[in-house]
Amino acid sequence: MNLSYLQVVMVLGTLVCVLGVILCIRTARTRFDHDEAARKEVNIGIARVPALVFARLVGLMALIVLPAGAVFLANYHVFEGVHEVRGCASCHVMLPMVNDMKDPESGTLAARHYKNRWIAEDQCYHCHSDYGLGGNLEAKMTGFRHLARYTTRTYHEPIKARVRFDNQNCLNCHEGTPRFEAVQSHATAHVKLVANQMICLNCHGQSHPTTVQRTPGSSDYARLMARMK
Amino acid sequence: MRLLRWEAVCATVAFALTLIFILVPGPYPMAIFTFIAQPLFGIVAIGYLLKVRADLRKRGL
Repeated sequence: MNLSYLQVVMVLGTLVCVLGVILCIRTARTRFDHDEAARKEVNIGIARVPALVFARLVGLMALIVLPAGAVFLANYHVFEGVHEVRGCASCHVMLPMVNDMKDPESGTLAARHYKNRWIAEDQCYHCHSDYGLGGNLEAKMTGFRHLARYTTRTYHEPIKARVRFDNQNCLNCHEGTPRFEAVQSHATAHVKLVANQMICLNCHGQSHPTTVQRTPGSSDYARLMARMK
Repeated sequence: MRLLRWEAVCATVAFALTLIFILVPGPYPMAIFTFIAQPLFGIVAIGYLLKVRADLRKRGL
């Protein structure tokens, strides 16, 4: 059986949450100042402990240890579970980008990378890897802002990127390759590219559909917004 | 320390919301986990630690 990290996280997360709920219910019904409980003993397999001590251990597990585990696993799920293209497509404002990327007729950078299999899987994440667990704090805060604005519907279409795209996402794969090094302008502009003072798109065209194409009411909008099968 | 009732109830709600996100991932469950369940766990931890501190002080520890 070949389990992915995400499936392991789902199974572990479910176990932690279910156990947490059970222990919380038990903790909610416990009186920690009960005299009778102080005298009773509980057999925990390897030793007998006073019932009050056992109840406090259960409280610690229910309110500190298991919540810490659940938060860790769920955050892992947040940062690593969004690698897949369908994760991005689950927010409908991203559909124009995803649909265009999968369109073999499209000439955008994303579509060319997709149809030529230059990136085999998790195509969105490969170029926007700042959102992942290893990305910087600014990208994380941007991700949280996007999430808040999407779920509260306080956004306007077409969406616009406020954060500058980091050229390093392109250079991670292209820098040092013979084709990249063979282009003289890459060497000329190298310092500016690394410092994000100019963007790769200046020479390499659109990465995604234009703002005009993604504007509601435009001739391309309905096609770009069609839900993927 | 007498009771940990509201802390346990809040933690139960937070666990339930976290479980929904883990089993049915999507933008709305993710937002509920990020902006409701996670802070709720934080509030629970603070409430619990304050009660433990008060209990230890009462015993002179």
